[in-house]
Amino acid sequence: MEAGQLLEITEQGNRFLSQIEGETGINLGACYQCERCTNSCPVAEFMDIKPHQVIRFVQLGQRSRLLGSRTIWVCLSCEMCSAHCPNEVGVAEVIIHLRNLAARSPYPAHEKELEIFYRKFMGELTRFGRINEIWLMTSMNMSPGILIKKVKDGSFLPELKLGLELVKRGRLHFWPKKSKAAKELRRLQEKLKGR
Amino acid sequence: MELAYYPGCSLEGTANDYGRSVVEAFGLLGIKLREIPDWTCCGSTAAHSLSEAMTILLPSKNISIAEEMGLDLLAPCPMCYNRLVYSLDRIKRGLEDSPWPLTGQVSIYDPTRFLSQQEFLRRIREGVKRPLKDLRVVCYYGCQMVRPPKLTGFKEFQNPTTMDKILEALGATVLDWSYKTICCGASIKMGRKEIGLSLSFKLLMKAVEFGADAIVVSCPLCQFNLDSAQFETGKNLLPVFYFTELMILALADSAVSINFKSHLVDPSPLLIEKRLYNL
Ligand code: SF4
Ligand code: SF4
Repeated sequence: MEAGQLLEITEQGNRFLSQIEGETGINLGACYQCERCTNSCPVAEFMDIKPHQVIRFVQLGQRSRLLGSRTIWVCLSCEMCSAHCPNEVGVAEVIIHLRNLAARSPYPAHEKELEIFYRKFMGELTRFGRINEIWLMTSMNMSPGILIKKVKDGSFLPELKLGLELVKRGRLHFWPKKSKAAKELRRLQEKLKGR
Repeated sequence: MELAYYPGCSLEGTANDYGRSVVEAFGLLGIKLREIPDWTCCGSTAAHSLSEAMTILLPSKNISIAEEMGLDLLAPCPMCYNRLVYSLDRIKRGLEDSPWPLTGQVSIYDPTRFLSQQEFLRRIREGVKRPLKDLRVVCYYGCQMVRPPKLTGFKEFQNPTTMDKILEALGATVLDWSYKTICCGASIKMGRKEIGLSLSFKLLMKAVEFGADAIVVSCPLCQFNLDSAQFETGKNLLPVFYFTELMILALADSAVSINFKSHLVDPSPLLIEKRLYNL
């Protein structure tokens, strides 16, 4: 957002605000825009909407801008912002909730690779009940476009080099360890229907 | 004394060295860890990002088994620890219903707070065979074990000292620094490597600046990020230890049982220089 740019309250205004407040149990009205959250955030410089602005944008009903933002994918859930807020506004919780909403919306994720990683992670989790890093990375790299992108931007070889080093040092195993309870997790996931 | 032990995926995978050292270090203090049978993944950041119901319910499977075992629960991985306490809190407040029986009577511990209780600090102090003197370390706590304090119950969340106390008891020179709980980048490297590297290097440079020989951690992801950032850039600054590895080094009858081959930045030259390790 440009400095000094005026934002209007959208028609979504109160509706979106009450939705987010209701679903997170957080009182966003307590925010007085002191920016402590943003100042404590280690990745604010990489965000298009800063943490304190996220709160304001929710108040203004800027749903589409938030769900399409880079911020909701770049956030590390490190909880610095929430811990430093003088008014107990759970900024980190609001952001992760927006990420969940975005993942279920038609808005393309601003950080596509991260979203794919999380999806593949859930796939491996429900398949074996546990994560095996080699299987996870393979499944990630086999997603459309990922391997080609990594080869093109030169990040694939370093990744491979690190992987081989980890194998050599006994930190990666080819064979996944499975939990007998994986089936129960799949059943749970089905029952929740993507919740 | 026995605790139910939830290793989580990392301690079985890339951080199996941490897993082994946790079991051995607790064993040296007479605490037996019983692995939760058929434990499942806590969901980590992925469930947290995509499925809010799963992120509450996935860990409850493991808590339920621990309750069945009748033991308190130890989760050495801070991410798992955080997900477990989060799950228990939300279920206790009635936000979701666990598909597995759960009374909520169980205590969930991170290993640093468990071992920094007076009784165990005393046992550590009395059991030291090779004091880590001259080893100058900074303790790095990261995010998930400490925040949000309301959930983790960490009273000194701005300046945690649980690992500091353990390392002091082992005889190390523990340096104070102001980066104990600044994020190392977590899993952002999966999509934005340059952000991850810049966060990790900020911590590494500060540790060097504060005069540390090594960084001590209790988190598999922090260890991996700080260790691999040095490997990937070819800039070896300082080794990153799990606090449990240093416990074994100081407490075990012979230090031979521990090897540091799993580390990307080899700690042996430092330990040999400090006369703490001979190959
Ligand atoms: S720290 Fe709290 S009150 Fe201050 S801007 Fe951020 S959310 Fe608002
Ligand atoms: S939780 Fe997200 S927004 Fe908050 S300080 Fe950490 S990275 Fe920044």
